[in-house]
Amino acid sequence: MIRSVPAAAGRALALLAATSLIVFWATELLPSDAAESKAAGRATGAQLAALRAELGLDRPAWERYLSWAGGLAHGDAGTSLVTGRPVGEMLAERLPATLTLAGCALAVAVPLALVLAWRVGAAPHGRIAALTAVAAAVPQPVFAAALVALFAGTLPWLPPVSLLAPDTPPLAQPELLVLPALALALPSAAFGAGMLGGAVADTLRRSYVRDAAARGLPPARVALRHVAPLLAAPALRILALLTGGLLASTAVIEVMFGYSGLGELLVSAIGTRDLPVVQAVAMLTAATVLSGLATADVLAARHREEPC
Amino acid sequence: MKTLHVGIGLLMLALTACGNDGGKASPTAGDTLRYVAVGAPATASHDPHGGIGNQSDLTRFALVYDVLTKPGPEGATEFRLATAFEPDGKLTTWTVRLRDDAKFTDGRPVRAADVLFSLRRIHEKAAENFGRLQMFDFAASSVVDDHTLKLVTPQPYAEVPRALESISFVVPEGTTAFDKPAPGSGPYRMTGGNAENAVLERNEGWWGAKPPTRRIEIRAVVDPQARAQAVISGQADVASAVSPATARQAAQNADLKVVHRPAVNMYPFVMRLDREPFDDPRVREAVKLAADRQELLDKVFLGFGQIGNDLLTPADPSSPKDVPQRSRDLDRARELLKEAGHADGLKLTLATTTSYPGMDTAATLFAEQLGEAGIDVEVKTEAPDTYWTAVFAKSDFYTGFFGGIPFTDVARVSLLGDSPTNETAWKRPEWDKAFGDALATEDEAARRRILGGLQRELRDEGGYVVWGTGDGLDLAAGKVTGLPEGPGFDSAFIEQVRVAAP
Repeated sequence: MIRSVPAAAGRALALLAATSLIVFWATELLPSDAAESKAAGRATGAQLAALRAELGLDRPAWERYLSWAGGLAHGDAGTSLVTGRPVGEMLAERLPATLTLAGCALAVAVPLALVLAWRVGAAPHGRIAALTAVAAAVPQPVFAAALVALFAGTLPWLPPVSLLAPDTPPLAQPELLVLPALALALPSAAFGAGMLGGAVADTLRRSYVRDAAARGLPPARVALRHVAPLLAAPALRILALLTGGLLASTAVIEVMFGYSGLGELLVSAIGTRDLPVVQAVAMLTAATVLSGLATADVLAARHREEPC
Repeated sequence: MKTLHVGIGLLMLALTACGNDGGKASPTAGDTLRYVAVGAPATASHDPHGGIGNQSDLTRFALVYDVLTKPGPEGATEFRLATAFEPDGKLTTWTVRLRDDAKFTDGRPVRAADVLFSLRRIHEKAAENFGRLQMFDFAASSVVDDHTLKLVTPQPYAEVPRALESISFVVPEGTTAFDKPAPGSGPYRMTGGNAENAVLERNEGWWGAKPPTRRIEIRAVVDPQARAQAVISGQADVASAVSPATARQAAQNADLKVVHRPAVNMYPFVMRLDREPFDDPRVREAVKLAADRQELLDKVFLGFGQIGNDLLTPADPSSPKDVPQRSRDLDRARELLKEAGHADGLKLTLATTTSYPGMDTAATLFAEQLGEAGIDVEVKTEAPDTYWTAVFAKSDFYTGFFGGIPFTDVARVSLLGDSPTNETAWKRPEWDKAFGDALATEDEAARRRILGGLQRELRDEGGYVVWGTGDGLDLAAGKVTGLPEGPGFDSAFIEQVRVAAP
């Protein structure tokens, strides 16, 4: 069990490095490369070889990985193989949009997940538990399509796509955020509630919780004083996973809504085998999730140290 | 059910919190055109000389940079920076005169040196742009004076003004940084946004007719449905390349209009002449005769287009007009197959992908049609991100793509013996020689006659089943006028588009 902050941070960093290797390797394994993607099948062998040399793709994979990692250590995310633009700049242009969208989605998903988890934990075989399980199994694009059909079609309240105006912060057009945020939040909340519901059920079965309820303490007080402290660590872990899942889902949702965020960039960068861009987006997402998990670990350890 | 109510309450609260900043309406009055074009963020670039994978980039470059020539109506060439092309007697040295009133947005005049620098740079990036300028010898080409250029071609090349129609964006000589926009001399200048979501404002110093719209926003959107919805919901004024289904729906909406650009989408079926069974001309003819072209056009492009006659560039001015339409003849197809030794049937695999809408439908439908002629076809749908490198120009039988480019370009990339992607293995030295002769013929009518004959030979004996061409379909709000209607590169020139004030 990890107790100290430096140890947790160290483990998160090691995992991050491992993730970068895996992402690099996985992208390497995909057929074709950035040079072929640029040539679009219409170049001669010699032209292709020249293009590879120009992009540095003729070097062995380990050398390219090390030079990328070395650059990143100095705060340089490299240059896009396809557009020649600095990766840092490409990310910076799109980060605010995705952060805003994910933030709004979490603002909906977290409270909803907590409320649902409480219900699921209290009645694991009840109707809400069943509904939550079903909702968690519905893929995000289906949710998105249904939401658009309902709130932009049948009831024309909201725009069906979310094209951000240039040079304008995403929050300046709140109506554009509602549907993509809901499409991300609802399935995530159901998923989180399903996982946390089990922990709630376990906690509720503990003798002192049952005692407290039997003593006639108000349910809210039992929830806050007896149940919540035990749930803090699992809840945080689930939150970290939920955030990761949500960030991954932005890839699909952003493309569907024409929302110019990191997810949309990631999808098209994988398509063109633009490794530096893929790596950078993947690192950002992984860093978010791993730091959340590390925080949860530290919290769990602290809690265990406290005498019960 | 109380918890659910609490949940819904929290949800509304969170959404209100998210949406509490107050909206700032983007300018929608008659002075702004919001144009949504095909484009993916990972390929959005500021380099006007490389691959230009995004239509959104091409459209932006055509507004920000001047070109030497562009496609005009009826296959004519419209001059822009260039004012005259004067060939020598052998058609290998061309004197190009430039207008003297063009200047970059940083105040410098546009000189012949800038033009030659830009052309050379495009040529250096041949691997990315299909060797667009490979007919030139740029080492031998030179600057004559500030507004005159000498262009040299190793072989006689009568179509130099047309060869420069595709891409000749001019940047200042010596520009090396293309991670941000270089100064241009075009009708607009970029004043904000980024490569995927650009803000352009009218360049008041441009030499040409004053564009009616002060500001143009160009945004890259990958998904065709999202592009269409942007116009339908009023978030954009024009969406390029929408689906035929969207176009059909929009026809019932009085607030919308659909612009048809003819012969923009072609998904020919490609047969390799150097492999069995397509090395037998009877098999190729049988496959061509088995196609129900009208059904393919109706189901793939919902009828928005023209049926094909196996001519690869029907919109090109040199395309022969007197060729009888090939129509379906299953009996003759079966007979030909029998003669070719396939009386017991023939098994084929047809590859396709989903890069362009309807490509997969076309292959599936064609497989059914071939089935009726006794050819058993298995359709293989491949991933779009590797199709153009792993299947295209490699497989024996697959679904190809041409996007309304001129015949000379198609010949250069796909038909000559030394073409980088001679996908049908069309290797005929005499055909190549006639092509060279055509380009050495100064008289336009005579040249077009030769080129037309070459297209006819390819239609009769080659490996392309051109069953139809689909219209390029752009969706626009009713208040938008002046959208380009020509095929190919012409669609990028939107500087005369007007948005009526509300």
